[in-house]
Amino acid sequence: MKRQKTVRFSGPAAQMVLGGMLAAGLVWALAALAEGPPKTPQGKHGEAGMEEQLAELQKLQPAGDVTEPPAGFDPVVWAAFIPEDNKPTPQRIALGRKLYFDTRLSRDGSVSCATCHDVTRGFTDQRAVSEGIKGKLGKRNAPTTLNVAVFQMLFWDGRAATLERQAGMPILNPVEMGMPDEATTLKAIRDLPEYQQAFKDAYGREVNYRDLERAIAAFERTLVFVDSPFQRFLGGDAKAISPQAKAGWELFNGRGRCVACHQMNPSNPLGTDNRFHNVGVSARHQNFEELATQALAALQADASEQKLDELTVATDLSELGRFMVTHNRAEIGGFRTPQILNVGITAPYMHDGSMNTLWDVMDHYNKGGEANPFLDGGIEPLALSEAEIDQLVAFLFTLTDVRFAAENQRQFARQQAVAKKDRPFRDNALALRRTLPFEQRVEGGKSTPKDKE
Amino acid sequence: MRHTSIQCRAGAASCILLAGLLAGCADDTPQPKRSTDVDEVRVKAATTAKGDEETVQVGACDGASAVEVPKTLTGQALAESLMDQWKRNHPEANWVAEEKERHTLQPPADNSKLLKGGQAKGDAYGNFTERDLLTWARETEKFAAEGSRIFHDADALGSTVAVSCDMCHPHAANTHPETYPKFQVQLGRVVLLRDMINWCVENPVRAAKLDPDGPKMRALEAYILAQRKGIMMNYGKH
Amino acid sequence: MAVHRTSVQNDVLRRDGVRATRASARGFKSVETRYLAERSALFCGLRNLDRRSFLKVSAAALGATAGLAAPHSFTPVCVAADAEDAGAKPAFKFAYISDSHLYEKSVNDRFVRGLLRGVDDVNHLDPQPDFVFYGGDLAQLGQPAQLDLGAQILKNVKAPLRVMVGEHDWYFDMGQKWQELFGKPTYSFDHKGVHFVVLNSVVERDFWTARKMSPLERMKTVAGLDNGVQSSFTVGEEQRNWLKEDLAKLADDARLIVFSHSPLYKLYKKWNFWTDDAEEVQAILKRFKQVVVIHGHTHQLLTNRVDNIHFHGMLSTAWPWPYAPEGMPELTIQMSRPDPFDPNDGCGDGEVRVHADGLIDKVYSLWNRNPITVSRAYTVSWGKESVPPKPNRVSY
Repeated sequence: MKRQKTVRFSGPAAQMVLGGMLAAGLVWALAALAEGPPKTPQGKHGEAGMEEQLAELQKLQPAGDVTEPPAGFDPVVWAAFIPEDNKPTPQRIALGRKLYFDTRLSRDGSVSCATCHDVTRGFTDQRAVSEGIKGKLGKRNAPTTLNVAVFQMLFWDGRAATLERQAGMPILNPVEMGMPDEATTLKAIRDLPEYQQAFKDAYGREVNYRDLERAIAAFERTLVFVDSPFQRFLGGDAKAISPQAKAGWELFNGRGRCVACHQMNPSNPLGTDNRFHNVGVSARHQNFEELATQALAALQADASEQKLDELTVATDLSELGRFMVTHNRAEIGGFRTPQILNVGITAPYMHDGSMNTLWDVMDHYNKGGEANPFLDGGIEPLALSEAEIDQLVAFLFTLTDVRFAAENQRQFARQQAVAKKDRPFRDNALALRRTLPFEQRVEGGKSTPKDKE
Repeated sequence: MRHTSIQCRAGAASCILLAGLLAGCADDTPQPKRSTDVDEVRVKAATTAKGDEETVQVGACDGASAVEVPKTLTGQALAESLMDQWKRNHPEANWVAEEKERHTLQPPADNSKLLKGGQAKGDAYGNFTERDLLTWARETEKFAAEGSRIFHDADALGSTVAVSCDMCHPHAANTHPETYPKFQVQLGRVVLLRDMINWCVENPVRAAKLDPDGPKMRALEAYILAQRKGIMMNYGKH
Repeated sequence: MAVHRTSVQNDVLRRDGVRATRASARGFKSVETRYLAERSALFCGLRNLDRRSFLKVSAAALGATAGLAAPHSFTPVCVAADAEDAGAKPAFKFAYISDSHLYEKSVNDRFVRGLLRGVDDVNHLDPQPDFVFYGGDLAQLGQPAQLDLGAQILKNVKAPLRVMVGEHDWYFDMGQKWQELFGKPTYSFDHKGVHFVVLNSVVERDFWTARKMSPLERMKTVAGLDNGVQSSFTVGEEQRNWLKEDLAKLADDARLIVFSHSPLYKLYKKWNFWTDDAEEVQAILKRFKQVVVIHGHTHQLLTNRVDNIHFHGMLSTAWPWPYAPEGMPELTIQMSRPDPFDPNDGCGDGEVRVHADGLIDKVYSLWNRNPITVSRAYTVSWGKESVPPKPNRVSY
């Protein structure tokens, strides 16, 4: 009696099984491709692990240090943004990189800059609002750290005048990295020889907070990613973007009225005018008058920068935007125009992350934002058609650096699928000017006619 | 307004001339002297000649004006009788003067210095006559007046919200053409005057963009530049 | 815990002993730097006040309305302090909306949105004004449909409404529809001891009959600000006589506020910022200790004073006019040049705070800008005190 049976892959049944396995494998592989390499959230707050991020960064920036003005920026304007006391050197950039990924700078050792500005997630966290120590949620969406070098001021409300100042603030914010003060932060790294050496090499000084800020800023200045298909189109490659995207670009400059705030030119290619506008996001949730009264009371009690930082990120006063910094009544609810480079991979959108897809953003502007007494006057219904909205979105997705093409494609597919199912911000009656902004407020607050054709 | 554009008028004039030439090009017909011959001819043309002479109807290309004239009428006389008829059909033909009365057009520069002294003998270029200066002034003024007409007419601009340029820019105030080219914040880049005109056409006026090299845009530019006569050029001024 | 210094203060000497030379040291100042400096000045200013003033200022800054600051106006220190005039506390206030130039909604939605925003603004004032005054030019071409639309929207104003006529309302049908809706164009009323007069100051000599114009042609001619065919505005003899009679019973020190659509002085004839019989009208008003004239038509911040008469303009909800190339009154500090991207820039509505002596603080609530107040002290002192802020974008 033969005890051993050799299983042979032959015969029609076997072939079917084999075929089935191959097919399944193919489907799985395709699905995996569409999904991308599985994001293994090894970080405590849903971000990719620090090691993985560093590896990804290495792939994106093989050259590592950038001390020359990068391609795509006007060199004269670029030079104007480098501060005298923080000229980029390989040592400073290396120190900054080290600090950027170091979770020791947070109170419970779980949060670093890279937690909310994740290399694998468009240098943001792709969440509506960010999560800090102990799982605390803030009130604001994390802007991307891509291309921050040429921002004129940082944060949604511009409360940091320089990249250096911005780098140091989240560390001390109770819902972000949660350190109580600078001294405690420094204690976490001061005794480590690698840091002592790094600080000496970079700035010739002891470990100190100002240099910590400088180093992080120096590193962030290397994150220049402006090589998008659109940039190549502007450079003369007519085939770099689709005809739909070209039509979107026309609309961007024309009936879409986008270009007035999202300015793009060689000296400022980011698509922001560095000003503050109330575009009526979430205006229906706020009583701005009441909030402003509260804010002034709070700020008179404690006028420190750290308090301001806390109020704007952790409390409802976040909705006041620029007003928190300037106390200008005209700037209540005003937020800085974000850059639109790489916008495809930095969802969700707006200061509170309330908009999931770019189609939502288009719907919001198309209907003229949300009427409120502080609404920026330039916001008005645009009466764009569905086709035109698609063209604009197509254009916006061409603004992503080619190195992020895979992520961009994934995001496009995801957003398109979500937008097909639901467009919560759409209001055709307002967009097509059948109902007018303020009309409902004036005529006794009738319910919004949600006209979904 | 009921009147036709510059092109049509110019066309009408040339049509009339062409019609005149085609109507009868007998080479031995002497060129009539300006004053008396033409008056005679006019009188003749005004009366519908029946029976005696052979008449022919000559039409102008505005499609409305026509004259019945003796077949022997040619050249200048024919053209003038047609023009007469056209003027009677278009009583507001004095449109430049009307436009000036309504909207105060700045006059073009005075070039009379060119007529006085120093016209070098044997210098063909640079010898100008009064007739030349009149032609220049007239044509320049007409161009600017056409711009004024479009500037003040929301329908001519194609506005979908019944807004015309003069609603924010009476007499083309606050148009500051002397500051172009400059960085225009509304467009986020450096532009020329006509780009800003087109921006205004698209935004406050909410019309379709004008062809930058088309007659309307050029006329609008002409009017805006005319109204800013005498102001120092200062490109780049915000 | 040491107070964390602002970045402006950090400029000089850091706690770690490093003297920071920021980019600003090289003369490159970001917008942010300026704002931070202003903010720091605000709080330094606060710390320097004595306790009583501090409380007053903080009350004003918190938007409390002891008649000092405009409600929901969180104006910084200096403006709040200025609003407190020695001995002259406002007795009451009213609001105004003016110059909406409506087309039917299907023709032009922007102008309708402007009027809606104006109504929304006055309805949200807290406390509510004593009444709301409409300054004229409700319709753009005097069409019945346009006037009806305007009347319908104005019905939503919560406070009592008083309406004045403008030339755009009148010259299509010579005021027929307007009078049906709103009554007499010339009238007067008393409120809390102040005598208010409303005039029709846009009476024009007949220019249309000789030219055989249709009603619409006549209206379109008047509608063109730079259209030279129309006649100059006048108040006219009939109304001047009425005015004399109406004012006859008032004492010389009576409190008197006159509303007219066009300014009752001669600013710029070519744009009909002009009243031909301004001198005659001013002569009628001459005997009074002080008179306030509030007008529309000019769609801009405009201040003037002629002897005893203090003139103030009203903003439009539709669009701003540029400033006239000549004839500008010295007292006017122009508003910043508007941004055409924002169809509401340079537009707005506002309030008038009436003081015990009948003079006013004129509040221009410019949309998307901080409100500007031309106070009683400014016109009383012929422009020396309480000077409104200068524009940062001047007219061309």
